[in-house]
Amino acid sequence: MDSQIKHIHQQLVDQQITCTALVQEKLNLLQENTHNTVNSLLDKTALALAVKVDTKIKNGEKIGLLEGIPFGVKDVYMLQGTNTTASSNLLKNYKSPFTATAIQKLLDAGAIPIVKENCDSFGHGSSSENTIFGAVKNALNPALVAGGSSGGSAVNVAKNFTIFSIGGDTGGSIRQPAGYNKIYGLKPTYGRISRYGLMAYASSTDCVGPLAKSIEDIRIILNVMSGKDAKDQTSITSKEIDEKAISNNTVKTIGYFKNFIESDAIDADVKADFLTSIEKIKATGIKVKALDFFKSDILVSTYYTLAMAETASNLSRLDGTNYGNRIEAENLIETYAVTRSENFSEETKRRIVGGNQVLSQGFSDEIYLKGLALRDQISTNFDKDFKEVDIILSPVTPSAPPKIGESLKDPHAMYLSDAYTVGFSLAQLPTLTIPQGTVTGLQITAAKNNEEIILKFANFLKETI
Amino acid sequence: MSKIMTVDILSSIKGAQPSEAVNKLFDVIKNAQPTNNNSLNNVNYNCVSVNNLREDVVIESSAIEKQLIIENFPKKKNGYLVVAKVIED
Repeated sequence: MDSQIKHIHQQLVDQQITCTALVQEKLNLLQENTHNTVNSLLDKTALALAVKVDTKIKNGEKIGLLEGIPFGVKDVYMLQGTNTTASSNLLKNYKSPFTATAIQKLLDAGAIPIVKENCDSFGHGSSSENTIFGAVKNALNPALVAGGSSGGSAVNVAKNFTIFSIGGDTGGSIRQPAGYNKIYGLKPTYGRISRYGLMAYASSTDCVGPLAKSIEDIRIILNVMSGKDAKDQTSITSKEIDEKAISNNTVKTIGYFKNFIESDAIDADVKADFLTSIEKIKATGIKVKALDFFKSDILVSTYYTLAMAETASNLSRLDGTNYGNRIEAENLIETYAVTRSENFSEETKRRIVGGNQVLSQGFSDEIYLKGLALRDQISTNFDKDFKEVDIILSPVTPSAPPKIGESLKDPHAMYLSDAYTVGFSLAQLPTLTIPQGTVTGLQITAAKNNEEIILKFANFLKETI
Repeated sequence: MSKIMTVDILSSIKGAQPSEAVNKLFDVIKNAQPTNNNSLNNVNYNCVSVNNLREDVVIESSAIEKQLIIENFPKKKNGYLVVAKVIED
């Protein structure tokens, strides 16, 4: 599919549609939808912004490319004055006092936020079932999960309820739902987009990223949101990606991880489809190398050990003192404990407790510090790989999306389903899901700050496989 | 106070217990054999240089930001946040 942003922009400029009608149409679709993608609609503010765009066009003023384009925001981003719940009981009435840098950049470019989107509570999940707003239903088959944690965002894009959505990816939370709903989803290099105003899950892998229906739209949104931000000191400077720069493929060698494909856990169809894609790529003259990598259980365990430790720390601020759904008890300590016990979901509690386990005396050396050492090795392994190959290609998930209800029954199985996404998060590498190649798509990964080569190769694969 | 703090106290979650699903993950780490014990995070070094720190200046919040912060207070009296009276321990 070509750029929807450019198409709608042209329709607005040519006055074939009004921005008000466009925004109203999307709001109606969101309101009526039965996929549980909406936590709150931003109807009043969105329509007010749309009227301004229409007035500008009527007055013959020039509008920017993103001006008047309706988009969705995962409900973990601060957007001043809107409810920002993280799909949790604790924050169900919380209002953002300020706006996240990434979202502010889109607002400054004239894009119109129309919905805060359902997701796993605090990003804790891979199915968007861990939410007080009801499980998000897959765009293609509502009996299946939408994936997670940015499930509402992926379904809204897939169903054309939003033109694009902004998700958050800590261990696969953009890439996996993008794959489950057959759209594009990018986790950029860690730090390329400021995390300021994104509710922290695991700060060392949290990334802001776009979900959209075309590579060109991903490029446009990435360019707008990228950049160093004094409010996030881990953010980095990056170069804008030009449209022409991603039109011709320059990738000569790609790699894939042998053990991902030879694993017992991979579905036969996913394996066969992946290998067919590899053969099609080889047929174009591109060299393909089978690479050695860490076992899936090591990747998943390293990721969850560190992510749980970080989330236990990040969520310790949620005690009902300054904000949140406080439940009064007989004293301060009890108030904290009852507030947290009653308001956090089972999955969130499981992760907080796990994090405190690994950070506690006696366990930190044996588990947490060892996890950090393993992460270093995983990252070093990638450095070595990217001396030999330009791109690493992998399936997004080992299997097709599960039925709603299955993931909640077996959390360990849900953790293991992240096997193919978490390694790239640990190494802070840019990775794009494309809706091709297997039932849940393919991931294209490059070395840090190489989003340009990823988008270039995605354009090439669009025509090749 | 006992020196051993259980996870329910550390987590401020009543009756919290380590879970089997998570312990399975930790067992994998316990049994892993890293080629080194370097936990210094040398590869993903995201710290900012001291020469590149942002200006240490006070930025006044906007009126709307202050108003929203007050709206978020779980309990308030005369526009002020009400907190528990006594910190016992």
